[in-house]
Amino acid sequence: MSIIYRLRNIRKSYGQRTVLAIDDLAVRAGRLYTLTGANGSGKTTLLSILAFLTQPSSGELIYGGGPVRWNNASLLTPRREVTLLHQAPYLFNGSVAGNVAFGLRMRGIRGEEQHRRVEEALDLVGLAGFGQRRARELSGGEAQRVAMARALVLRPRVLLLDEPLANVDRQTSDLLEKLVVALPGQGTTVIMTTHDPEHPDRLGGELIHLVAGELAGPAPAAASPVKEGEYQKCRPLKKPAASFLTA
Amino acid sequence: MDFLIESIRTAFALIVSLDGEVVSAVVTSVSVSLWSILFASLAGVPVGVAIGVAEFPGKRWVITLLNTLMALPTVVIGLVIYGIVSRQGPLGGFGLLFTPEAMVIGQTVLALPIVANYTITSVQGADPRIIPTALTLGAGPFQSVRQLVAELRFGIMAAVIAGFGRVIAEVGVAMMLGGNIRGYTRTMTTAIAMETGKGEFALGLALGLILMSVALLANLFLNILQQR
Ligand SMILES: Nc1ncnc2c1ncn2[C@@H]1O[C@H](COP(=O)(O)OP(=O)(O)OP(=O)(O)O)[C@@H](O)[C@H]1O
Ligand SMILES: [Mg+2]
Repeated sequence: MSIIYRLRNIRKSYGQRTVLAIDDLAVRAGRLYTLTGANGSGKTTLLSILAFLTQPSSGELIYGGGPVRWNNASLLTPRREVTLLHQAPYLFNGSVAGNVAFGLRMRGIRGEEQHRRVEEALDLVGLAGFGQRRARELSGGEAQRVAMARALVLRPRVLLLDEPLANVDRQTSDLLEKLVVALPGQGTTVIMTTHDPEHPDRLGGELIHLVAGELAGPAPAAASPVKEGEYQKCRPLKKPAASFLTA
Repeated sequence: MDFLIESIRTAFALIVSLDGEVVSAVVTSVSVSLWSILFASLAGVPVGVAIGVAEFPGKRWVITLLNTLMALPTVVIGLVIYGIVSRQGPLGGFGLLFTPEAMVIGQTVLALPIVANYTITSVQGADPRIIPTALTLGAGPFQSVRQLVAELRFGIMAAVIAGFGRVIAEVGVAMMLGGNIRGYTRTMTTAIAMETGKGEFALGLALGLILMSVALLANLFLNILQQR
């Protein structure tokens, strides 16, 4: 199993306050991680760093075998491989379909293929037929699912989910859980935050637990030290498995 | 009292009959203002977005400067542009003084800080999740800012209308750079300011009513936009 992320002495501070301090953490490709911790323990901050949206104050982030260079030009490619689903997602003005198609448009995917993938993704989150609805007029749970579809449609290498199951009803939560659990089998690395104490056990996968910005308990890095030789150069997914969205 | 009532009656007659003098002043006012706001927006919106989005040392200063420029008296702008376009000025050779073009230049300068400032305010008040959301979905830096602008379209339209409201109602620039030439550079405001004293009270009143309607309409529109 290759390592997709490695964090070394990562610190994030706001003013004098250090909100995240991770000495060593390795994330393996194609696995599922649950990220837990109290409110304010730094989960969102960590995901935002892993999504290359927040630059750490210090330390080194290695992604796909090389250190991340924090300038817009170098970040475009990794950002296109990693998608973050925000804790309180922002939907763009316009239709549901327009939202789900956004990332595809950015990748130059248009026309028939765009349409088909958008429909598939909406179907997947149980929102078939919602395409023409105005995104701003959706209920909280529907909006959450649209945001999920908007991320899934990209078939990202890494999917970072910040409490994707807050706000949704039991049935939808079961549906989304199934989706998420199936992703690693298709090669997607998933890191998902949760406040549900049952999630880590039920979803399987590995646990990353934060206490006041620091790793606590048997963190993946400590439990499974990684030899340098294990790094693997990241290549874009050759051909997205046809079954990716329909599994 | 009779004089007032009589004048109001005449004013309405002038409007209803599409009196040449009235129509010409309205057309000049509106077209000069539209050209001005077009140029001011083409420059002011991108500048405002850039300043609003970017983090750079001295940003506060630039915004303060723009705020100050917003308060520039129109006659001062008129004076400066006059110095530039009059015969002896650096652009004197183009013979722009007392033409609609000169008015457009002056009103563009007048509207630019207004458009830029309102745009900055709109960008700074934008939802902070817009740009990160666009980025994480694969937008490049430029595309993410374009998405921000799309999300802010009402705020940016408000900036443009605020600028329009200012230029259509101003008299200093139009007066000093246009010269109130009948049928050419005479606007609603210069006609009111200059002709009323020459016994054209009803004309002034008619133009005043139209000007007020235009200004009210622009403001109404602005209010609607700001509530969205
Ligand atoms: N932009 C910011 N400026 C200052 N402090 C911040 C900022 N963003 C986050 N913080 C602080 O960093 C700490 C960690 O925040 P973070 O959002 O990562 O927590 P979290 O674990 O995701 O919490 P929750 O479970 O409530 O979502 C908090 O104390 C928060 O106040
Ligand atoms: Mg959080």
